[in-house]
Amino acid sequence: MWTRKLHNYLGLYCLLFIWLFAISGLVLNHSKWPVGQFWKTRQESTTQRAITRPLANGDVAIAAELMKQLGIVGEIGDSKRDAAGRAFDFQVVKPGQVFRVEARLDSAFAKVTEIRVNAWGVLDALHKFTGVRMDAPTQSRDWILTRIWSLAMDALAVGLVILVCSGLYLWYRLPAKRAMGVVALAAGAACCAFFLYGWGTALT
Amino acid sequence: MLATTSVARSVYRILRDLHLYAGLFVSSFILVFAVSAIQLNHSLMPWGGRSASPAAVRTVRVEVRDSDNSLDVARQVRSQIGVAGEIGYVNRKAGSSRISFPIESPGRLDKVKVDLAAGVATIDHTTTGAWDGAIYLHKMPGPHNVSIRGNWIFTRLWGWLADGTVYLLLFLSASGIYLWTVLKADRRAGLLFLGGGALSFVALVLAIVT
Repeated sequence: MWTRKLHNYLGLYCLLFIWLFAISGLVLNHSKWPVGQFWKTRQESTTQRAITRPLANGDVAIAAELMKQLGIVGEIGDSKRDAAGRAFDFQVVKPGQVFRVEARLDSAFAKVTEIRVNAWGVLDALHKFTGVRMDAPTQSRDWILTRIWSLAMDALAVGLVILVCSGLYLWYRLPAKRAMGVVALAAGAACCAFFLYGWGTALT
Repeated sequence: MLATTSVARSVYRILRDLHLYAGLFVSSFILVFAVSAIQLNHSLMPWGGRSASPAAVRTVRVEVRDSDNSLDVARQVRSQIGVAGEIGYVNRKAGSSRISFPIESPGRLDKVKVDLAAGVATIDHTTTGAWDGAIYLHKMPGPHNVSIRGNWIFTRLWGWLADGTVYLLLFLSASGIYLWTVLKADRRAGLLFLGGGALSFVALVLAIVT
């Protein structure tokens, strides 16, 4: 009884999160669809802003201080600075918006380019907004909302695993549905294993 | 009145069975996407994955008809070196006789460098494992290199299955809502969970986006 309630209530709680990741996943796989063309219709604007030279050390700390001066919030992305310490460029990302900051520390001004995408671009960004990259495992999240969103992603993944497990248990409790259920489950598992273990390489 | 009740019961039974069997079929796919999502979210790659050292390096003689279409050249090489998989991208400088590209499939990566003038291909083979395979599948076909994506039949098939997983997930959620609304006893508590989930979703998305 409680398993059924858990399955129902968890499914209802996760509903909008599931829809977001399902629909954005579909659009990611079909970037030729009109809704996947959001980057082409982006809006870009550039402003020159005065800054004071940051006292902080380290790329993230300098970027954080400049963001405070410029009133920008988001996850700090790639950054680079020249050997003399005069130029410092960095990127700040939040779903739907990207800020490219080119700060000239010696002359105390920064060129800020803001890029905005439409709602489909926001969905796309939310799908991938982890604050870390597989090819840079030491990178850490520096914006509190990135941490919360990544926690929500983990929670949804765990929620989906619980939905699957509770669904399997509920099916197991229905003897009349076992035979057909085994066929459906085995077909899905075999299909999935075929791709997961790359068995297709042996056939081509 | 009786007929309406009977139709409603039939619809309920059919939807309940479809929800059950579709859910069972898609459960393995959901597990792969859920586990790989956690891996992607924490850069988790047990046993090295793609950064593991190549297990074997070999050279093969190839005879390739050169073309302006780099993918066509890479395809010819792929068919001659006995490696199956998706050509991830193709690197070739204009006018150069050298070409390089990866051949990827879940659990394996072959980096291929070809000297077309000398007719020699060098292949670095890496076994990346099932964990990397799950991430590879999670990202495939994806938004990158769309013009060449799907150059291996199993990438195309996986693309259809990944789409199918989404459509089944949407069907499962819609049919799940219907089945829940029929259960009168669970409506109140269900509404609370649905409302709570919607509220936390909207609050979180608005906080991030605005």
